[in-house]
Amino acid sequence: MGTGERDQEAHVSEGTTGAGGTGEAGGTTGAAAAEHRGTPTSSPRTLAEALRSRPDASLAALLRARPDLLTPVPNDLTQLATRAGTRASVVRALERLDRFALQTAQALAVAPDPAPYPVLLALLAGDEGDTAVESALPGALAGLREQALVWGSDERLRLVRTARELLAPSPTHPSPTGLGPTVAEATAGMSPGRVQEILRAAQLPATHDPVSAVAALTSLVTDRARMSALLDTAPPEALAVLDRLVWGPPYGEVSADPAPPVRWLRDHGLLLPTSARTVVLPREVALHLRAGRAHRAPEPVAPAVAPAKEYRPQVVDSAAAGQALTALTMVEDLLAEWNEGGPAVLRAGGLSVRDLKRTAAALDTTEQAAAFWLELAYTAGLLASDGEADERYAPTPAYDSWLDLPPAERWSRLAAAWLTATRTPGLVGGQDARARTLAALGPDLDRSPAPEVRHRVLALLARLPEGTAPDPETLLARLHWEHPTRTGPEDLRPKLAQWTLTEAELLGVTGRGALAAHGRELLATGGPSRTSTTTPILGLAAAAALAPHLPEPVDHVLLQADLTAVAPGPLRRPLAATLNVLADIESKGGATVYRFTPASVRRALDAGQAASDLHAFLAAHSTTPVPQPLSYLIDDVARRHGHLRVGAASAYVRCDDDALLDEIVADKRSAGLRLRRLAPTVLAAQADPATLLEGLRAMGYAPAAESAEGDVVITRADTRRTPPRTAPAPVPEGPPLPDETLLGAAVRAIRAGDEAATVVRKEAPHTAPAEPGGLPRTTAAETLATVQAAVMTGSALWIGYVNADGAASQRVIAPVRVEGGFVTAYDHTADEVRTYPLHRITGVAELADDPA
Amino acid sequence: MNGPLIVQSDKTLLLEVDHEQADACRRAIAPFAELERAPEHIHTYRLTPLGLWNARAAGHDAEQVVDALVEFSRYPVPHALLVDVAETMARYGRLTLSKHPVHGLVLTTTDRPVLEEILRSKKVVPLVGARIDADTVAVHPSERGQIKQTLLKLGWPAEDLAGYVDGEAHPIELAEDGWALRPYQKQAVEGFWHGGSGVVVLPCGAGKTLVGAGAMAQAKATTLILVTNTVSARQWKHELVKRTSLTEDEIGEYSGTRKEIRPVTIATYQVLTTRRKGVYPHLELFDSRDWGLIVYDEVHLLPAPVFKFTADLQARRRLGLTATLVREDGRESDVFSLIGPKRFDAPWKEIEAQGYIAPADCVEVRVNLTDSERLAYATAEAEEKYRFCATTATKRKVTEALVRKFAGQQILVIGQYIDQLDELGEHLNAPVIKGETPNSQREKLFESFRQGEISVLVVSKVANFSIDLPEATVAIQVSGTFGSRQEEAQRLGRVLRPKADGHQAHFYSVVARDTLDQDFAAHRQRFLAEQGYAYRIVDADDLLTGDLG
Repeated sequence: MGTGERDQEAHVSEGTTGAGGTGEAGGTTGAAAAEHRGTPTSSPRTLAEALRSRPDASLAALLRARPDLLTPVPNDLTQLATRAGTRASVVRALERLDRFALQTAQALAVAPDPAPYPVLLALLAGDEGDTAVESALPGALAGLREQALVWGSDERLRLVRTARELLAPSPTHPSPTGLGPTVAEATAGMSPGRVQEILRAAQLPATHDPVSAVAALTSLVTDRARMSALLDTAPPEALAVLDRLVWGPPYGEVSADPAPPVRWLRDHGLLLPTSARTVVLPREVALHLRAGRAHRAPEPVAPAVAPAKEYRPQVVDSAAAGQALTALTMVEDLLAEWNEGGPAVLRAGGLSVRDLKRTAAALDTTEQAAAFWLELAYTAGLLASDGEADERYAPTPAYDSWLDLPPAERWSRLAAAWLTATRTPGLVGGQDARARTLAALGPDLDRSPAPEVRHRVLALLARLPEGTAPDPETLLARLHWEHPTRTGPEDLRPKLAQWTLTEAELLGVTGRGALAAHGRELLATGGPSRTSTTTPILGLAAAAALAPHLPEPVDHVLLQADLTAVAPGPLRRPLAATLNVLADIESKGGATVYRFTPASVRRALDAGQAASDLHAFLAAHSTTPVPQPLSYLIDDVARRHGHLRVGAASAYVRCDDDALLDEIVADKRSAGLRLRRLAPTVLAAQADPATLLEGLRAMGYAPAAESAEGDVVITRADTRRTPPRTAPAPVPEGPPLPDETLLGAAVRAIRAGDEAATVVRKEAPHTAPAEPGGLPRTTAAETLATVQAAVMTGSALWIGYVNADGAASQRVIAPVRVEGGFVTAYDHTADEVRTYPLHRITGVAELADDPA
Repeated sequence: MNGPLIVQSDKTLLLEVDHEQADACRRAIAPFAELERAPEHIHTYRLTPLGLWNARAAGHDAEQVVDALVEFSRYPVPHALLVDVAETMARYGRLTLSKHPVHGLVLTTTDRPVLEEILRSKKVVPLVGARIDADTVAVHPSERGQIKQTLLKLGWPAEDLAGYVDGEAHPIELAEDGWALRPYQKQAVEGFWHGGSGVVVLPCGAGKTLVGAGAMAQAKATTLILVTNTVSARQWKHELVKRTSLTEDEIGEYSGTRKEIRPVTIATYQVLTTRRKGVYPHLELFDSRDWGLIVYDEVHLLPAPVFKFTADLQARRRLGLTATLVREDGRESDVFSLIGPKRFDAPWKEIEAQGYIAPADCVEVRVNLTDSERLAYATAEAEEKYRFCATTATKRKVTEALVRKFAGQQILVIGQYIDQLDELGEHLNAPVIKGETPNSQREKLFESFRQGEISVLVVSKVANFSIDLPEATVAIQVSGTFGSRQEEAQRLGRVLRPKADGHQAHFYSVVARDTLDQDFAAHRQRFLAEQGYAYRIVDADDLLTGDLG
């Protein structure tokens, strides 16, 4: 991991100012150190410098862990450091941390910056120490360093600033540590008079310098002995209040006239006010009460996945193989069902709920499972929408070639597709952010963590001894430790893991909850690679492992006198295809029961089979003699099949004189009418009656038209009428003339608006030297930069502000922090801490002199 | 991987009969799976909750069931199915009905949440009394049947251990002179007596009446026997007089015509379910004596009101007799909860192997309608259609040919339409028995048929239901009823017993091609084939020419 080299640095150089910006990404400052790669003579002053000192392998590890830094490839290490410090990238990196690494990062975020290693250790292990933490911390720290989230030597550990901002507690983002702001941070927005009061109450020497006052207060709360002494004097009720706040959230609401214990705490600086109504427990006090621990329960060791049940591996393999076979049947049944065209694609994409229900009924399963099979077939490329104007789902050509594969390979295609897919069938039936139902095969079902979670779940299963089914709870706990997702109300990962377990069982990757041998093979060869080009090949080993467990396809059936045929195992494909036409399936599973009915036999005859073919087919594939009733049934249906003939004709010619019809058919001129002799006295024509009449007339005959009832139609020029219609209403140009009421209302509205525009307004109070032109105007970027600068310098600003009602005002504020588009500041105009949305600030200007 | 059994995902079990382990497998699965079809090669069994609970009631546990499935299955058994079996079976016996010395009838549970769950059901509330302790609740004795029905519907069948009243004693002995109960009949009686109440399933012709007689001899108490119709009632009476120490005077018939109440009373379902002005006037029969045993013949045909009466008779021993537990109205669960679980089930093949029953050779003869008949059939009103096709003149020729073919054997010609039968009787020169034939005349004709004095007898459907109908080696059915084909097929099976001299029985059914007649026949044949009767279809023309040649 290459972190050792930073341990040797001795020289401490502090080049940064106290302005908060440590300039990690400062490329220019690091330029001099560029030559010192690998042999640092001093502690790195910036992240770029730290990266520069890392060997190539270590940089490669960083890029492997955070591939987003690679797109596009950075020009130099400065750019890499800059990118590694961007919010999006840091968020992504933090989300990939395991529980303990995250706890370490969180501890660093509440530690002073930079923090020496012992401080960090104390935060995690507490005052009493914890051997598990002690042994796990170097590893966690190495991981954080590798991912460029932490840099600097052990004496000066620094969390990347963006990470610190993300993890440090703030009123809007409470930290999982449950710690509040430090004394310095909490008093930043406080009026100096208030600070003096606290100093007096804490019996500290009064000072007029706010900086030294805060320092004195800080030294009190960080001094364990003095704090203990102070707390000894606290009333018991006050201790109870502290107990409530100590593990967070550290904020409490107080009334204007707080109860005595709260007042005692507030007076002694153990609680600091953040606004008129809320108080906060400063971080140092909380840490004292917690015996130095940042987390209530540090989790340095990954929880083990507990085995729930053990089976003989053969039992697991055969159970999984049985299910694998079921999976194949399911997919085949599904696509056979849609063979002649499936249901329509919804306009928004996907399958309608009704069609999903129908599919579930056809597959004799639940809608949730049906959605899984659908998505599986879709993911494996066996099913797609046909892209026609009237869009429908249908099997793809790949389905046909898939069908030709041996069963084990067919399964491995499905399993490999499933393992790497981002499609998440488990979401089907749920709702998206806009409360629309998520449809099977529809859009918005892709979840990028899905393949990784699937792989991870299977990997954890693979770590158990063969034939062992895990306790799903412990498995989920382990996954949660590895991936403690912090953000988002709906936590997808546990659900994904749960779905993975269900789906793996459905697919036959696991049997009775334990990973089967072919599941192991699948996992071994099918890494969570993003590239799907390797998937067809990676399944082969799994297919080879599965094949011996699958029943050998049979090529015969048992025919019985009750007109059923039983295939005592999976049938060979051509045989199954013919039987599916010739008989109805009555029961499925390891075997298939077919029933012959007159309708099914007729279907086979319709499909072009002759009765003799069917007899030969049955005789060839039956191990038992063909029952007489079955042969009889086929003959009986065949006898009647095609007895009646149906065709389409547009018109007919009939004539009692056969010879005349002979003449017409023989006449070359009649070729265009496409006449066909149906009976001695009837001709059928493909031309419509009018054309036929005309044609015959042209040939010199005198045909008469016949109505449907057989009467001669008397033709004469017909008058044509539309159905009843109303006359068109006039369409005048321009809008309709307004009536009196409308006019009156319009005039009143115009008057009122005019009055509002011309009224003399009350002037806003001027607390700062007003510039001509009223509100200051600056660009958004300037505003942000000025406010951020003010946070660092602690100076006050003059801002123009528009409130929610659109009223503009000018205020003087001392910004405390800027985050998420809000600036929290001590408002001198209102004499309290307020939060302003940045976009409502029309402009800022620095004050000539400090109004406080 | 090479067992005789294939477990299907729809919970049917396919048993390959010719497999070497087939017999062992059948014995293993029979207690919990219902035999649905038994054609020649593959028998189909079905797993149902009732079947599984039957097995539980008979003392089998889920492990045995799972073991049997796994041991004999050719392919891996779906795990979900095994789990389902175990869960279903675990539901039986969590609730028990028993007699409490202080509180009378009580419902006890071994699983408290189950009791809490069912007590929250609105349907259970009116049936139970005070809560005695956390696991016990009192039940109104009158609601013993109701609560069992309700609990079964809720999916928590209760085991009834509350016992029975002895009833009024009456000496009944089997008169085993020159005959004895067959071994399986003995087992059936023992199985029933041991279980207290329940159903004995025996195939047609396996002697269910004797099982009833055996049970009565065990109970030695007054007995109420419920049968499907008067003919059957007389058959029971006849058999009981012949096979037991009971005399004619001790056996009463309670039917439309006679209303006798004796120590042993045979009543028909029909009279019991007669309603006048909204009440069942014959209900008092159940209370007219202190019955010690109630026998239900043909449980699968038990009419719905009888269930209601039965619900009030839970303290008396009940014996159900049937060939199949499958009911066309789906009320198997009421049979289970009100009469009792299956107590005995004889494998059909075993009884056949022992030579007690044998399938007849069934042949369907298809005749063509003449052109004028076809036109008449096509234009006939819906309700007349069947008559048209069933009475085609061609059938007469075929029947004559068949009678000639089996000349010298005892032949029954069975039909529905009197005109047709009269005509046939005339052509065959055979006597006709129909509804208007007086009883004495019937008896005389039957007797001379039995004696071989007449070899051909034409009978209408009244005779079809008559028990005195003598056994024949050949039956020719020219027109059938469109009622329950199942019932008809059973009766035909009964008529066609194998002869002592090993003569095979023949059953010809003459059917008009491409008509309703053929559709009805198809149903009947399916039932026959599923019962293992082989059948063939021949063309009338072949038969006629073959006969000439």
